[in-house]
Amino acid sequence: MTLGLPEHLAKASLSRALASAGHAAGAVCLASAMVIAVASIVVEPVGEIGPDRQAAIAAFVLVGVQAALFALVAFHPSVTLTVVYLLGGTAVVYGLTVLVMAPGNGFETTNNALLAMPRTALLLVGGAGVGSRIAIAWATLGWGLGEAAAFLGATAAGAAWAPNAAAAAALGIVVITRVYDAMTRSDARRETALHRASQQTRELVIRHDYELRAIARLHDTALSHLVAIAASGSGPVDERLRTAISHDLSLIVGRDWATEHAEEAEASGARTGPGGANAAAGASLGTRDGSAHAEGDPLRAGRGGPTTTVAAPTGTAPLADAFGVARDAGLAVNVSGAPDVLAAVGPRRRAAIEAAVAQCLMNVARHAGVDDVEVALGRADGEVTIVVVDDGRGFDPERVPDDRIGLRTSIRGRIEQEGGRARIWSRPGVGTTVMLAVPEGGE
Amino acid sequence: MSTALRLTQQEVDPIGGVAAAPLVLIGSILSAATSIGLTAWHWSEVGSPVAAFAGILFVVAAGAVATVSALPARAPFTVDRLWFAVALAVGAAIAEYVSTVGANRYLYDDYGPLVVGVLILSLAPFSTWISLLAAGTVAAAVLAILAIGSAGASATQANAAALIAVNSVAVLALSAAGAAYSATIVRESLAWQREANAIALERDGGVRAGIVRSVQQGRVSVLSREVLPFLAAVMSAERISVADADRARELAEMLRRALKAGIESTWLDDLASSIGAARQVPIAVDDPAATAARLRSEQRPPLTALLSWLSSAERSESIRIAVAAEGGGEIVRIDVVAAAGSASPSRREVERFLAVARAVGVRGDLEITRENVRVEFRYDA
Repeated sequence: MTLGLPEHLAKASLSRALASAGHAAGAVCLASAMVIAVASIVVEPVGEIGPDRQAAIAAFVLVGVQAALFALVAFHPSVTLTVVYLLGGTAVVYGLTVLVMAPGNGFETTNNALLAMPRTALLLVGGAGVGSRIAIAWATLGWGLGEAAAFLGATAAGAAWAPNAAAAAALGIVVITRVYDAMTRSDARRETALHRASQQTRELVIRHDYELRAIARLHDTALSHLVAIAASGSGPVDERLRTAISHDLSLIVGRDWATEHAEEAEASGARTGPGGANAAAGASLGTRDGSAHAEGDPLRAGRGGPTTTVAAPTGTAPLADAFGVARDAGLAVNVSGAPDVLAAVGPRRRAAIEAAVAQCLMNVARHAGVDDVEVALGRADGEVTIVVVDDGRGFDPERVPDDRIGLRTSIRGRIEQEGGRARIWSRPGVGTTVMLAVPEGGE
Repeated sequence: MSTALRLTQQEVDPIGGVAAAPLVLIGSILSAATSIGLTAWHWSEVGSPVAAFAGILFVVAAGAVATVSALPARAPFTVDRLWFAVALAVGAAIAEYVSTVGANRYLYDDYGPLVVGVLILSLAPFSTWISLLAAGTVAAAVLAILAIGSAGASATQANAAALIAVNSVAVLALSAAGAAYSATIVRESLAWQREANAIALERDGGVRAGIVRSVQQGRVSVLSREVLPFLAAVMSAERISVADADRARELAEMLRRALKAGIESTWLDDLASSIGAARQVPIAVDDPAATAARLRSEQRPPLTALLSWLSSAERSESIRIAVAAEGGGEIVRIDVVAAAGSASPSRREVERFLAVARAVGVRGDLEITRENVRVEFRYDA
């Protein structure tokens, strides 16, 4: 997020930043003054006249005192310390003026570089409080006190006084930046309202995300039943359809069905409602060595290799809902690999995979024209992969009409929302393979 | 390298960057005025009028470079622009030195250090604190050499160390001020952003619950009105009639169309309908491929803020937004055209939004006519 400071924080933050700027400049001024004092102590003057060494030591001490007070007020900006600094700094400026304006130093008036340094540091006090007005007030007070001290010092030294141009320039810079800040700070931020826009955008994205989930759920439930009813034509209501409708109505009405959270799925699986698909009891998962089931068992061993036989789903068993969908549709599922690889993903991600697999099986039952389907599960390279393969009619993925949204929402949409990918290979007359891969972990 | 070292106020607080741009012009004007005033002040020391005028021209050029470089339309400001402006200002200081060489009694009335310092300070909102400090130090080093060259003519007979300190204090102090400002504002902005992100994440939980309810209520109301009663009737019936099958087909088509529309809409469609309904300003979105979904999360707020702002206070009568992917899907182009309302916006006002967009990697162009405000965003996907 790069939205900058909000309106309510801008005043304090900008004020602190400008105060820090003043403190840094003031510190450089005092440091330079100390360097000059030290240089005057240790280096011989280049001409016949020059600063007196004793005076230089006194100047160094005075500047040191001002620097100590300046550091105090910079790190602990209270009214008391600000006043102490201003009074102490005024005394220092007076003392320095007397020393600098002594005959022999070559300065004609108090408008000179040496006096400019402590004077500038005096007005760059920053001071207690936040905001432009208070900052300008402290700076003006510092400038006025410095000017008064310079006047008194010059009088005591018998020298000419003149307003210090550098200190006045520093005051001018402080006033300009502070006034400009006060004038421009709020309006632009308030009118741009970036933080409100950011909040609004986040809400829109969350809403859209949920709408897509809701759409996927609607597609899986209401739409599939409507299509089944339309396709069945007139005649007795198929019991499997009746059961499925009952199950889905119980999922939709009066529940937070749009969330698709796993705990809800689990809760729905555990619930024993009238005709609920998940109410089917006696589920068990066991591994066999590829042996086939008894005739008529809709879920039987896979085509080769170690396979898992699913006798019947439970609410909490991996892919229980999906296998329930297959069973209701009269489809035999051959499972290879260990369904417990799904334990490697978070509840919401698992719910998304289960719903996508259920949709794949539903598609096979409706469109493939076969009685069995392969489901292979695996875990590698930080991903959980599920492949659904059928030998049915197949289709040309390029020619799927725009208004067919099952693949987009119920399969691909769900998986991509969880950071995974869905790939579909299909050819008319050859069959269809859907591969779903999601990263391990997640919510 | 720490993040704060590499960031400027313009990057972390784009509105602050836009607001600071005129301050560079003010700094440039003051610098030019100072150079003219002080040249006149010590004209008696000037031995080379050509160098004196050249110095003033250098100051004007440095100010112009700084001002133009900091314009919001040229964002982001780059470090080479800072160095270019500082180099010109240092050139002015050298020209001033040449103009008074051998006759400069007081370094105090030289404008060179002040001009360099003021330009560095005025560019503080656009530069990292470390580059400001580096520029100030290099400039101070050059000025130190000039100070030693002036020692012979000094009225104060001060030692070389003192002269160097006097001649470089202005540029060092103002550079330090700029660096401190930049470092503080970046630090505070980043701290706020961290806090705001944490608050937003926390808030998302509550928002999520409310949104889930409203989403499902919306969908359930559609369902309950038409589909649910029908499914419930079929579930409890003995037989499905031909009329039931036809009705199921009709409802399936209706539902499919609604679902398809839902899938193909993006956050931008939702935003347009939300703002349009609240502000009574028609907002049309033309985004057939749902390209708006490709904007990253931090790139959406500037567009949201712009639409929200354009649609308020009678700034627009209507807004059209066209989103398209170009260059083989490499570039996302968003064209916002607002038909001007009774209080049509100014270029400067709209520039703020473009500045924020630039800070998140979205280029933008603005065209304002009497009838329309046209903003074009481009983003390399």
